[in-house]
Amino acid sequence: MRSALSVILSSPVPDNKMSHPDYEQTAHDHATILVLLKPVGTQIKPKTVDRLCERIIKCGSRFTVTDSTNNQREILARYVRDYPVENTEWGDFQTHRRLLGLITFGKYENQTELNELCRLHETFKVKYVQTLYDSRTILIGPNASEKLSEPPPGFTTPFNFKTTGFFYGDDLCPDLEAQILEFLKGLFYVLDYKRLDRTREKFDKVALLKAPFEEKDFIGLDLESRNNRKRCVGRAIKHLGDLSLQAGLYSDAFNNYTSAVVTLQGVNDWLWLGAAYEGQCAVSAIMLYPNLFRSPPLQRNSSLQESSPGKQRRDSQASTLPISPTIDTVRTAKFQVLAPEDISKRYRDAIVHYSKYQNAGIIENEASFKASRISIEQNCPLQAAAFLNNMFNSIPMPEKEKIDRFTTLAELYTALGFTRKASFCLRHAALHYVSQKNQNPDWQQCYNLLLQTTSGFKLSLDPAEMSPSNRRGWPSIQIQLLNELETAANRMGNPALATRHLTFLLQTMYNYLSVNQRRDAALQLQAVSQQCEGAPVPLVLDSGIVIPPANLTNIPRTKSFVLKNLQPHLQPQKIERVKEDHGPFLFTPINFGSLDRKTISKSKVDYLWVDGDICEVTMQLVNPLPFELHVSNMRLLTNGVVFESIPESISIPAESGPIAVTLAGTPREAGELEILGFSTHCLGVKSDCQLKHVDSMIHQLYTVEVVPQLPKINVETSLPRTASFSSADNIVTSASISLYGGESAECTITITNVGQVPVEMVDISVQSTLDSLTKSKVFRWNEEDLQTQLPLQPQTSASITLYMHAAMDFVVPTSRHGSTGVYPSQPNSLLSHSGPSSLPSRLSSPSHHTKRQSEITSSFRSATNSSTGSSSGAGSSSRLSKLAAPLHASNVVEGQLRIKYSGAAGFGAGYCRVSSVFIAIEMLPSVQITGWDVLPAELPTQFYLVLDVTNMTNHEMELNYATNKRIYMEGRESCRIPIPVDRCPLNKQTLVNGSGNVDDLQKVCAEHIASLTDLNWQLLGTESKGQANLTGLTLTQNMLDLVRMSPLQWEITINEKVFKSQDELKCTLGDCVSVGVGVSNALENPLKNLTLSVNLYQDHHNGVHNYRLDSRVSIAGANKVMLPTLQESGRAYYECRVVFLTIGQYKFDIQCTSREPSLNPSVTFTELSSNAGHTWRYTPPIEIKVVDDC
Amino acid sequence: MAVCVAVIGKDNSPKYIKCVDETNALQFHYKVHTSIDIVEEKLNIGTKTVADNKELFLGMLYSTEEYKIFGYATNTKIKFIIVLQSSNATLRDNEVRMMFRKLHIAYANVVSDPFYIPGDQIKSRAFDSAVSEIMS
Repeated sequence: MRSALSVILSSPVPDNKMSHPDYEQTAHDHATILVLLKPVGTQIKPKTVDRLCERIIKCGSRFTVTDSTNNQREILARYVRDYPVENTEWGDFQTHRRLLGLITFGKYENQTELNELCRLHETFKVKYVQTLYDSRTILIGPNASEKLSEPPPGFTTPFNFKTTGFFYGDDLCPDLEAQILEFLKGLFYVLDYKRLDRTREKFDKVALLKAPFEEKDFIGLDLESRNNRKRCVGRAIKHLGDLSLQAGLYSDAFNNYTSAVVTLQGVNDWLWLGAAYEGQCAVSAIMLYPNLFRSPPLQRNSSLQESSPGKQRRDSQASTLPISPTIDTVRTAKFQVLAPEDISKRYRDAIVHYSKYQNAGIIENEASFKASRISIEQNCPLQAAAFLNNMFNSIPMPEKEKIDRFTTLAELYTALGFTRKASFCLRHAALHYVSQKNQNPDWQQCYNLLLQTTSGFKLSLDPAEMSPSNRRGWPSIQIQLLNELETAANRMGNPALATRHLTFLLQTMYNYLSVNQRRDAALQLQAVSQQCEGAPVPLVLDSGIVIPPANLTNIPRTKSFVLKNLQPHLQPQKIERVKEDHGPFLFTPINFGSLDRKTISKSKVDYLWVDGDICEVTMQLVNPLPFELHVSNMRLLTNGVVFESIPESISIPAESGPIAVTLAGTPREAGELEILGFSTHCLGVKSDCQLKHVDSMIHQLYTVEVVPQLPKINVETSLPRTASFSSADNIVTSASISLYGGESAECTITITNVGQVPVEMVDISVQSTLDSLTKSKVFRWNEEDLQTQLPLQPQTSASITLYMHAAMDFVVPTSRHGSTGVYPSQPNSLLSHSGPSSLPSRLSSPSHHTKRQSEITSSFRSATNSSTGSSSGAGSSSRLSKLAAPLHASNVVEGQLRIKYSGAAGFGAGYCRVSSVFIAIEMLPSVQITGWDVLPAELPTQFYLVLDVTNMTNHEMELNYATNKRIYMEGRESCRIPIPVDRCPLNKQTLVNGSGNVDDLQKVCAEHIASLTDLNWQLLGTESKGQANLTGLTLTQNMLDLVRMSPLQWEITINEKVFKSQDELKCTLGDCVSVGVGVSNALENPLKNLTLSVNLYQDHHNGVHNYRLDSRVSIAGANKVMLPTLQESGRAYYECRVVFLTIGQYKFDIQCTSREPSLNPSVTFTELSSNAGHTWRYTPPIEIKVVDDC
Repeated sequence: MAVCVAVIGKDNSPKYIKCVDETNALQFHYKVHTSIDIVEEKLNIGTKTVADNKELFLGMLYSTEEYKIFGYATNTKIKFIIVLQSSNATLRDNEVRMMFRKLHIAYANVVSDPFYIPGDQIKSRAFDSAVSEIMS
């Protein structure tokens, strides 16, 4: 830093002993009597001296005396604590530089000490003997004397001690003020006498007054020349003016100065002319600006501590002090003075004149200061600045004086409001303290002054005020200043401060530092911090200044700071509660119960953390420095609830890219947690990197809600895991299984409590894309079983069995076999007529345990197909396509078993966690029903359901389709099976009839079938077995007639005997067979317009029914009767007789038809409309064999 | 001609500073920085006396043995500072005014750049060349 000193400092120290500058001087000091206050001896305490001086200054700075002509005069006095003897030599030039009075202070305990004090006092007297008028000594002894001016009994003053002493017994000094005033008056009288003496002197005879350096100039000059005489006179008048001014005769003084100016101008005596000008200015200033007189007690540098700019100062002064008299009032009231603008003009002239003399540099400087002070008072800062500018044309002088000069300059600049210049000067002053020429560098002083300069350079040592948004000032200058501060702090032996300043530099100036500077600063910081580790606490200096903490927010640089949610299965979720009733409104802007509007800060994260769980924040760090950076002890800075942060250490390679770091911690309480940032320990400095101080952070802080403790569970299944499962929220494990359609399996799910608190609540549900009905079929479990195992203590397990069932549609939708759906009536009616002759016989044949060949089935199928009216080609093609692409490819059912659990405090707060098990069930097709039909069965209460069943597996299958009926099917084989099914009873239909929809009826019947039939299959060779059901069958109207129980109850009597369907009827040719048909209505409403008919036909067993039996049968009685109404549970009976004329097999076709209600279209009875046009047949037809009796 | 040219923003922070002798840059930083005091004072007086003061040229701010420092303030309180060598006595006031005018035009061009955010550091090649023209 020493090398940084500017050129000004390197000028050599001159041999200049003529004067010591007094930069404190003001224009008013021209009118003062100079008194030196000096403590003598070592006994007296500085504090006592200070107090006494204060009292003296207070009472004696301004006092009035009565002069010889009984006029009141106001006299000013100036007190100094030290005064160089050399300065008194300038007393002829300006009389106020003479030291007129001396007051010493001393304390003694014994005679020897008293003698010493007296001796010292006399020494001072001798020192200033040239100018001194009078002196006093204040002596504080062990006891008071009776007479103040005499020593107390037992003490005597030395014989050569001629001074008046005040002997006090203690340091209270009761009548000090009075004594001092007396002393000052004495001084005044001497002064006034001298002045009068001068006025009486004839100017012709007066001796030439000289400034100290002028002595040699006048050697050899003709002193008697006219010019010189004039010079003598002019100087004498000026001298008289000085005396008059001191004696309080301002008017006289001004006149004297004015005439001196005239005289001296004539002889080109520039130095004294300048002095005369200055005198004029001084008088004017005293008159115009009485406030400028220093207010006792004077505090040096006081203005430097306060950073308020000068503009404020002016205002405050104007308000507190009495208003200065205007020039007019002064002029009219008393006498002529200079106008304010003339004062500075005169000062400028004076300074110009002084500047002509090399040896008058000090006088010139002092005049500049005085002039600038007046300019400040006049509120002309530019003018003042111009005077002060003059100060920079440096006169060589010792360092101490330079420091003085610069500090005074700074003081004045501050008063002007030129804070930058003030700081500039202060910094120079600071550097002079430690300059190379300074024999004993004082780093402490240097540091203190440097610290004061910061405000002018707009450098705040608080990093918060130096944020990029509101930083001002000049970075390069600030960087230099910070470096200097650091050096000074280091040299004065305060490494903590040095560390702090370097840290601050790296924090706030980082963006303005070059790469090299950054590296240097970082390395230096590392070195400095080895002596004293930096910590984020404010440092308090001896002077009371607090240096706020600085943090390394840029090293390492934070690129991102993201709070992490808990893992999905650990995220707490609100347990849904039944909503409280808030009235009829869904939304209300009025917040009931609380007045505070919820201000949702953006920084609040929308997820929750859990007390006791490890919560994480991920960060990306960048090392901008060209060496490896060790960051240790990284922790999260939090506010709010107790948070246990886990320290983290990391090494970031030189100039690395972003490196991810995860900071973790555990909240220990429920409530709101604020994450303010993180702390690091890096380059030997502990830093609190708050997010608000880090650049480019989105949020200043993050707020997280921490919910009370929740349990944690681990879930395992007994099934193998799936290879991959759809990634999702809270899935912890997975299970997979393959099931053939209709197969069931079990899966044991084990729940282990791995947390710290018991699990008190478990709620299991399944989520899948399936509809709820299918879902409930596929997944089942026993809820109670689990509930009995609760609560689940930590480290214990509970298990639950999940039953899975491969629910499939075994019935292939009819689209492929659309023909049966679209034209249902034809084939069914055909079948229903033709079927019984062939099918029952086949079905009743012992087909059990016979393996059918596919050829048979296919031929059978093709027959069926042909019977449906489609060509055989179509049938084969459909078969081929079936083989090529199985209708039901294996489909996978995915489900999530959601285990919602909670416990402990979190449960009370209404939170739970959800762990899901992903379950994939691959459903393989087992059996498939590709076609179906119904046939009348042997019993009227039953019908045959004929199914085309295909084994979709590649295994041989045993299909158990009815009691004791089973069939073996090869893999991929189809076959047709008849299943006897009870007809749908009427009471089931009536449930539906209310709605009267055919579709509903069909559904009911389909359900009826499904509930009664079960196809149990078992794959031979494997363990698999399952059950296929028949849900999804669609039934046509004609099928329905068969499926449904007839609403009409038939009661057939043959030859007066009740006929049962299995009965074999036989009669001989020519017999008269009496057929009685009783019909009773089983419905709950009457049937109308029924036609009951009995017909006979012959079944040729080839699909042809021959009804034309006129020649073979004769019927006695009407074979057709009309029944207008048949009441509910009403019964109708009709009888006819039949005589068979030829032998053979005959069948009775007994049917009951309800006529179309065309005559009565207004009939709206649903049952009528549904039953209208229906034909109910008695099934199976009664068969009668007519034989020849012979 | 000029040894240092500086543009100072509204808030008295440096927007641009260029010196002939970059090794001694800090010295000029100090000079320009302290001259802001006088600029501010001059601007204060300006606003007090004449509101519609059209004169943007502030004249010499101060002079040392080595350098003379001139100031110029735009109506938007952007300050231009030019440091000249005191030895260069041939420079008239008018020439200094011309330099400032050039600088002002160059600055206006910079600000007209739609991508320039007012208050940012000036980083413009065109401005650089204008400044070096003044300094050459």
